[in-house]
Amino acid sequence: MRRPAPRRRGTLLAVAFLLPNLVLLGVFTYRPLLDNIRLSFTDWNISSPTATYIGFANYVEWFTSSASHAVLWNTAVFTAAAVIGSMALGLALALLLDRPLFGRNAVRSLVFAPFVVAGAAVGVAFQFVFDPTFGLVQDLLARVGVAAPAFYQDPEWALFMVTATYVWKNLGYTFVIYLAALQGRRAELDEAAEIDAASAWTKFRRVTWPQLRPATFFLLITVLLNSFQVFDIIDTMTRGGPLGNGTTTMVYQVYQETFVNQRAGFGATVATVMFLILLVVTLLQVRVMERGQER
Amino acid sequence: MSAPTPAGGTGLRGRVGGYAGLLLVVLLVAIPLYWILISSLKERPDIYTVPVSWFPDPVTGANYSTVGTGVAFTDYLRNSVVITATLTVVQVALGVLSAFALAFLRFPGRTAVLLFVIGSLMVPNQITVISNYALVAQLGWRNTFAGIIVPLAGVAFGTFLMRNHFLSLPREIIEAAEMDAAGPLRMLWRVVLPMSWPTLIAFTLITIVNEWNQYLWPLLIADDASVAPLPVGLAQLQDTQGLTNWGPVLAGTVLTMLPILVIFLALQRHMIKGLTAGAVKG
Amino acid sequence: MTASGRRPLLRLTGAAATIAALALSGCAGTGSSEDSDAGGSGPVETLTFWSNHPGESKPVETELLEAFEAESGIEVNLVTAGKNYEEVAQKFNAALSGGELPDVVVASDVTWFNFALNDAITPMDDLWSATDVDSEGYVDSLREDYEFEGEHFALPYARSTPLFYYNKAMWAAAGLPDRGPETWEEWAEWAPKLAATNGGVAPMVLPDGSNYLDWYFQGMVWTFGGSYSDEWDMTFTSDETIEAGTFLQDQYRQQHIAVSNDANNQFGAGQAAALLQSTGSLKGLTGAADFEIGTAFLPGPTPGCPTGGAGLAIPERISDERKEAAMELISFLTNTENTVKFSQATGYMPVQKDAVDHPDMKPFLEQNPNFRTALEQLEVTSSQDYARVLLPGGGARIGAGLDRITIGGEDVKTVFGQLDEESTQVYERDIEPKL
Repeated sequence: MRRPAPRRRGTLLAVAFLLPNLVLLGVFTYRPLLDNIRLSFTDWNISSPTATYIGFANYVEWFTSSASHAVLWNTAVFTAAAVIGSMALGLALALLLDRPLFGRNAVRSLVFAPFVVAGAAVGVAFQFVFDPTFGLVQDLLARVGVAAPAFYQDPEWALFMVTATYVWKNLGYTFVIYLAALQGRRAELDEAAEIDAASAWTKFRRVTWPQLRPATFFLLITVLLNSFQVFDIIDTMTRGGPLGNGTTTMVYQVYQETFVNQRAGFGATVATVMFLILLVVTLLQVRVMERGQER
Repeated sequence: MSAPTPAGGTGLRGRVGGYAGLLLVVLLVAIPLYWILISSLKERPDIYTVPVSWFPDPVTGANYSTVGTGVAFTDYLRNSVVITATLTVVQVALGVLSAFALAFLRFPGRTAVLLFVIGSLMVPNQITVISNYALVAQLGWRNTFAGIIVPLAGVAFGTFLMRNHFLSLPREIIEAAEMDAAGPLRMLWRVVLPMSWPTLIAFTLITIVNEWNQYLWPLLIADDASVAPLPVGLAQLQDTQGLTNWGPVLAGTVLTMLPILVIFLALQRHMIKGLTAGAVKG
Repeated sequence: MTASGRRPLLRLTGAAATIAALALSGCAGTGSSEDSDAGGSGPVETLTFWSNHPGESKPVETELLEAFEAESGIEVNLVTAGKNYEEVAQKFNAALSGGELPDVVVASDVTWFNFALNDAITPMDDLWSATDVDSEGYVDSLREDYEFEGEHFALPYARSTPLFYYNKAMWAAAGLPDRGPETWEEWAEWAPKLAATNGGVAPMVLPDGSNYLDWYFQGMVWTFGGSYSDEWDMTFTSDETIEAGTFLQDQYRQQHIAVSNDANNQFGAGQAAALLQSTGSLKGLTGAADFEIGTAFLPGPTPGCPTGGAGLAIPERISDERKEAAMELISFLTNTENTVKFSQATGYMPVQKDAVDHPDMKPFLEQNPNFRTALEQLEVTSSQDYARVLLPGGGARIGAGLDRITIGGEDVKTVFGQLDEESTQVYERDIEPKL
């Protein structure tokens, strides 16, 4: 009858289990990040072998530029809508397809399929949905005599368009995570609820939802982090336009400044700001979720 | 009236509602997919028409043969399989071990390690590629599988997912296992993993998808069909200044998707509930 | 969240601070090392060529490279370096940071200059004399596109210009002569007729600001006597440039000109009577449209048409032997016979002056009269303004401005004034110190 593993042994084992992964992340993610932070204080042309130290000039420029405010706004709208949209729909679908319905397996695969399509191909496919001339939305609306909005030209509709497209693609991800959580839940609790003959809603709220809390917590963080970094869809659908930065998000700005405007130092600044924002937001999420769990 | 049935389903009303929902989902999700599919079967002038044409007429396989003949398709497919299979095995193994340590082992700095892992999800690959390229080139790993695979092998998402799941497992079972003085590996294998299949499969599926679709990094590292994966190989079908011929591009997309969907179909069947959950139909 | 649970936020914050501190003190190399291959001596046996195969040109590129190998004994490794010019540039930039450089790389009209300015690609004039390249044989405007401070940094390869495409059936329905408008004023007269007789289709469609409207508008500005810039002096606010912008805006408002995210296909599907588009689209559009397409010069007076497309460049940091071998490869790929072959396979312009007289060209032009238009127009093209092609991000900046005056309906003077200001600022910040 030994006590749980003593601390030292736990530490040794933890090192053995964690080290390879941490080394990989350290070398191939954090080393470039540190590199990037250093470069954010420089004026560096992407093709040049030398970077000139310029202190906080890039940061001052980013925080005082009006374009940055638009970019920040686009990012916030896109991210919020993507997180809420794909999580709510993913949960609804997982609940639906957790039930014994005919054709369930086929529909599960269907819901997962968009997640499998490469981002660039999604952009192409959705031209056939939103295009003012060839699009299905336009086609359907025309049947009821309504003109389709200018998805590619009105910045707000353009932002809606790329967000909706991303939600469509990302559904498969939230769906699979929720479905896994539903499938892994503890049957005895469900059965207890059924004996109580609780209504469906009560059962969901009292029994199912608390069990989905870890999955929800996980998704909140990862979907937010992922949608902050969406690049392919925006690149193929709008290239950050219309009107210059109608759908430019922070990660697209990083790309554009680094590789199009060749200001890699400034691009590094945007990336660093983005990292810091994500760090703060994630810490807040963790805090809020923990409070929720204490209750 | 709508008393719950033991199968976890609901009464007639719920069932009708369920099928209505199913239908809606099928439509919303399927139409863009359907469009990719039929466009890949259309002749070039039929892809863009007004009004839109919902059926390919005539149906042509020409786009698929363009992909087959214009591209070293089997080479790229093989490379994709090698890269994805290796990365999936490595990432799932590393992810499970890391998550186990973070969830069940006691050691100093555990929270910092967790934050380190989550933090790496905050770094966009636009900023890692150049720096990693320089390193991989110094190692002499350009145009090798190692050069493509090793920098992608660290696993943050899966570690976080599995750790979260492990913590949600019933404490009493874990504690009982610890009381049994089962060694950690034994405990992982015998107790923890058997309760984790659905999440582990989700982890595996998402990893397969992500690695299968890697584009930017392999593009920078690979030079030829000896190591480049499918997305890089298919890039040459796209025109630049002129007019992209979408037929072959979409045919390539369909061909790239198919293997993953087959894997999904195969794996999702194993995402079934524990035995006590009652009948699982459908 | 943690199993042991107390005050986790405090710990997380502490960990975050540690990471941040690490980050601030961090230093890792950007890697500016010289290419390790540079020291190689002896005869060159293989060359590496990075291309995005513009115009679906992989088969013809492969064919030409095999011919080169047979002639010179040098094997060429053709690498797909991206699906567009931007991706090739990205891969090349990565290689500059410390990888293996190619020997020949495709560089577009907007990417070559930054490479030249940062000594990443080599000036070619000396190589031309060393390897007996007849630079005078190349079409002058195309060769001079790569000139900077008396040196040339690339040779033209997959070159294109905008072309005026029109739907012959719609032209006939409107009773217009079978030709393009000679001036933009004439276009303004024709447009209402096209709109009236063709059931609401757009008389002309242009790609929007995210799809290089700035390139198509370049020629229009010139015909009004304006320009984006005169070398490094910005001229967006000149009366003539403003007039051209106002003309575009009026045409857009009167629905004579539509601006679209997919102008090509809109025209190809019969939803617009005319289109300005690259000559590189000629093959594709002819294949996609089921009506007869006419082509014409861009409206004048000349010059009313800019050049565009890509050239071939040689990295600076490879050995002299490799540079010379690379030069021979470029010279081979762009010689009269091969540029004819390449242009017939892709629709890009032949880059040699005497290509027109090549025996293979005559039957081809007879079969493809539209290609003849493109070829003849080449003589009246002009190199683009610095503000668009040499200034970093120039195209995207002007494109956004043009979106604003068309789609956004903003005041032309205000928008062009801002373009002037921003462009000058970018020039003073990013270019001037390096000259």
